[in-house]
Amino acid sequence: MTTSTITSVLIWLPIAGALAIWILPLSRYATGSLAVLISLVEVGFWIEQAARFNFTRTGLQFSQRTPWIKDLHVSYHVGEYAFSLWLVGLTVVVMAACIGYGFWVGRDHPRAYFGLMLMLTGATVGVFVAQDLLLFYAFFEAMLIPLYVLIGVWGGANRIGATLKLLIYTMAGSLVMLAAIIVYGLKVGTFDLVDSPPSTSRWLFLGFMLAFAIKAPLFPFHGWLPDSYREAPPEVTAILSGVVAKAGTYGMLRIVLTKFPEPSSYYRTVILALGAAALVYGSVLAFRAADFRGVVAYSSMAQSGLITIGLFSGTNLGYNGAVLQMIAHGLISASLFLIAGAVERRTTTGEFSRLGGMAKGRPALATLLMTVGVISLAVPGSAAFAGEFLILAGAYTRAWWWAAIGATGIVLAAMYVLRLISGVLHDARGPMVQDQALDLRAGELALIVPLVAALLVLSAWPAGISHHSFAGDRPLNAVYEQFR
Amino acid sequence: MRDGAWLCLFAPLAGTVVILLGGTRIPRAVAGWISTASVFVAFGGAIWAFFAFRASNDRAGITYTAWTWLQSGSFKVGLSVLVDPLSTMMMLIVAGVGGLIVLYSIGYMDGDDEERRYFAYMSLFVFSMLLLVQGGNLLILLAGWGLVGLSSYLLIGFWHDRPSAVAAAKKAFIMNAVGDATMALAFFVLIFHSHSLEFGTSFATAAQLSPTAVNLVALGLLGGAAAKSAQIPLHTWLPDAMEGPTPVSALIHAATMVTAGVYLIARTHPIFEQARTVELVAAGMGALTLLVAGLIALVQTDIKRVIAYSTMSQIGYMFLGAGVGAYANGMFHLMTHAFFKALLFMAAGLVIHALSGEQDIRKMRGIGALMPWTKWAFLAGSLALVGVPPFAGFFSKDAIIAAALHDHWYGVILAGAGLVGAFLTGVYTFRLYFLVFPGEPSAFVREHHHAHHGQEGPLTMLVPVGVLAVLAVIGGWIQFSPFWHPLTTWLAPVAQTLGVAEPTNTQEAIASVLAVLLGLAGIGVAYVLYGRGEASLAVPRVPAVQRALEHKLYFDEAYDALFYRPAAAFASWLRRDFEEPVILSTGPDLGEGALELGQGASRLQTGLLRTYVLFLGTGLAIVGVVFLVVR
Repeated sequence: MTTSTITSVLIWLPIAGALAIWILPLSRYATGSLAVLISLVEVGFWIEQAARFNFTRTGLQFSQRTPWIKDLHVSYHVGEYAFSLWLVGLTVVVMAACIGYGFWVGRDHPRAYFGLMLMLTGATVGVFVAQDLLLFYAFFEAMLIPLYVLIGVWGGANRIGATLKLLIYTMAGSLVMLAAIIVYGLKVGTFDLVDSPPSTSRWLFLGFMLAFAIKAPLFPFHGWLPDSYREAPPEVTAILSGVVAKAGTYGMLRIVLTKFPEPSSYYRTVILALGAAALVYGSVLAFRAADFRGVVAYSSMAQSGLITIGLFSGTNLGYNGAVLQMIAHGLISASLFLIAGAVERRTTTGEFSRLGGMAKGRPALATLLMTVGVISLAVPGSAAFAGEFLILAGAYTRAWWWAAIGATGIVLAAMYVLRLISGVLHDARGPMVQDQALDLRAGELALIVPLVAALLVLSAWPAGISHHSFAGDRPLNAVYEQFR
Repeated sequence: MRDGAWLCLFAPLAGTVVILLGGTRIPRAVAGWISTASVFVAFGGAIWAFFAFRASNDRAGITYTAWTWLQSGSFKVGLSVLVDPLSTMMMLIVAGVGGLIVLYSIGYMDGDDEERRYFAYMSLFVFSMLLLVQGGNLLILLAGWGLVGLSSYLLIGFWHDRPSAVAAAKKAFIMNAVGDATMALAFFVLIFHSHSLEFGTSFATAAQLSPTAVNLVALGLLGGAAAKSAQIPLHTWLPDAMEGPTPVSALIHAATMVTAGVYLIARTHPIFEQARTVELVAAGMGALTLLVAGLIALVQTDIKRVIAYSTMSQIGYMFLGAGVGAYANGMFHLMTHAFFKALLFMAAGLVIHALSGEQDIRKMRGIGALMPWTKWAFLAGSLALVGVPPFAGFFSKDAIIAAALHDHWYGVILAGAGLVGAFLTGVYTFRLYFLVFPGEPSAFVREHHHAHHGQEGPLTMLVPVGVLAVLAVIGGWIQFSPFWHPLTTWLAPVAQTLGVAEPTNTQEAIASVLAVLLGLAGIGVAYVLYGRGEASLAVPRVPAVQRALEHKLYFDEAYDALFYRPAAAFASWLRRDFEEPVILSTGPDLGEGALELGQGASRLQTGLLRTYVLFLGTGLAIVGVVFLVVR
């Protein structure tokens, strides 16, 4: 295994950028430009890395390992599997769009703001590439700190309450996970994710699972979600639901399923039920939500449930579908929240009772919202459909009713997304939609169009991810197979 | 052949992309021509593929794959197109009739605010429909299936500032999503058993499945077919879909998309044949729909809704034909129906256009005097619809009734339904004709009618109507069983008519004579009731029946009460009484609890060194024990 520093560069470049921005007395414009530049360089590095990635080879790639605490077998160990590569790509692309959005709208206290955004980028990449449990935990926490501040300082009117809720929930999950990590690491004698053997401890399984279920979130651990998604600045919500929530499902895939195959099998029905509950409950509440962000927030929860179903179906179809769906949904919800931000900037509201009729005279906004909307409701032929189809086909092999419940999700998604589209774009013009509310500007298009273009490319070729997420089509947890 | 097939598929998509990216740089008028050209290029591709395929020796069909669209392990689905007798026939119908209707739209939509968007959607629809009929495996078929639903949604709701149009569009999409879901479930069963969605593998798998499994697969497919083709009980969206522009109704809700269910049954007939009961359910569903829709059409007063119910009824015939196993006859009726129903919609569109958007037939009396060519075109369409020889419908409809007649005892019932339907068709079609066209122009017509530069409409509208009028007359001559049947022969390699659905010559003759006589009787009844000036609209002397029919047999009301309102009430309850009080307040409660705990803990901070040492020691001891035990 050759050592490569490029993965470390992806983590530490934005963090170094954050430090530079905090230290250097740059102007508002220079700060924003530097942050955007760094985020674009990240995308460039990722593309370079993806181009060199060998999708047929098993095992970790672009890895780097340096002993840290030798006695406990803790090391700085980073590297990527194919599915991690996609999640890192999702992170850098969405972060670039969101940092660009922050620059475009001109957030206050630019140095603090952009520094935090860059730090968030580095920490999130770290979560997806860390191959040591303690390192994973460090990045997992480092990812949350900028989020608390970003919501608490730049958020809406109820930002403090929202931050507190997010903090309580995520802290509860993190602490339990930390305990589980320590016990697990000491028990098996290493904290390394590649070397460590699987465990049969159900308590440890539950410890990890709780943290990831809160992060994803699954029903009924989603109490933090509606407020955070509503109160955070739109670009932070885009990151939160598009990327950070994926850390939950990623954790299930990378840690829970691979390290706890027997407990995963034992609790499979429970977890599938939680996923199905999140799917149906989230969809139903999305259908009743009164505003743009509410619909997307609850639909994100539904999608997390769906991804979980795919992962815990324990089939290749489910794994591949889940990875595809993580990327597709990440791009969808990031685009939708950025569009929500654009709408809110023009009308000061996201409530359907005050919106409507925005399609008239705003072709760019209408086209983009319509395109992302129909992809998000998984119209057959779209990337989200491909992911959902694989997941449910996998779930069907487990038991027919999981697929049947999932299929009701197809109908419910059509109901809530069409309600969202017509609530914003169609019918009579809402009271808050003034003539001054212009169509999307070039700057906004430059941020949203690439995300939508990525979705369209994925819709044309979903196999690009579904067939390239596990080397040689053997999910990394071959161990898991024997417990099916 | 390969290039023709791909050209056919992607030309309309290219049209959409050009119009979308061009935006305001493309003049409005040009957008229509781009779209028309893209669809006619597709028609050219279809002709190319058709003749190349005819020239080749292969009759079972050739699949071309562009790239692997979706893959997971051994489950692999290519973006493939299939060139075979069935798909080439559909390509010709879709692209040919589609091109004529898009051309007609140039005149119809002239002056609308958002012509470019309209034509982008129209091209997108044609692409989706071609993807559906050309799709080389079940998943690509489903992709086309979903995308036609999407285009239909976009076009029904084209005038999106009208709440009724937006509601109709949503209703159509959601009802079709139900069908998509049942189809997806059917596919999961196939994937589970064969790990493939290729046509051949799936059909072979179906033959080995348990009766329950194969029935479920067939039911899932039938659910999709019924939703798309507006068959009872998933039909309520179609009449509402008339909110869209009239050419949309002609293209999507008459000629092409709504008949996709028939295509699906013909395409997947090996599965349905393994589940013969489900196939007969499809036939029964068709019989029921053709009767009910025919009855409701009797009392409608909106010109487009009459034709919409007539469409439902005619698709009922196609389901009946395909359901008993006469796939070629079903497809034949699909083709002739595409000609004459598109013609009826577009002729109606000329009338609506000339009356500035009026659609109420009670006000239109006598318009034929001002629009003679439209009148003749509409009459040709009507005669084709009723099935009067030698018009197109005669050949295709009678063949379906004859095929049903041969199929066991229930075949007689199905054929009987078809015959009663023929009578109803005569009545409602000519009720419409007599109310609208003959006689002295009414005051409303005289006041509101405006000619287009001395013509009945712009040339872009008149030419397609003329072409379709000719096709409505002669389009059926291609096949006159039992004397000549090239279409059945052409389709035989992929959709062989079942033996039970091959009527004897006597049965053919009986069916034809009865159907024609009943159709003429229907016309006679319509003439007696509506043909002599006094426009009484009542179904004579049975007001209760009339009321029930005017409410479309209360399907909408029933669905609202059974599904929508309980679901919405449940969702609201969940939000108000569970999400907000229980879930959303848990976090803060936990927070307060934590704070109280903290305050309690702070009392332990006595400031005395000995307390701290005690805690430190206890903690160390616990950690030590944990370490020893855990290791």
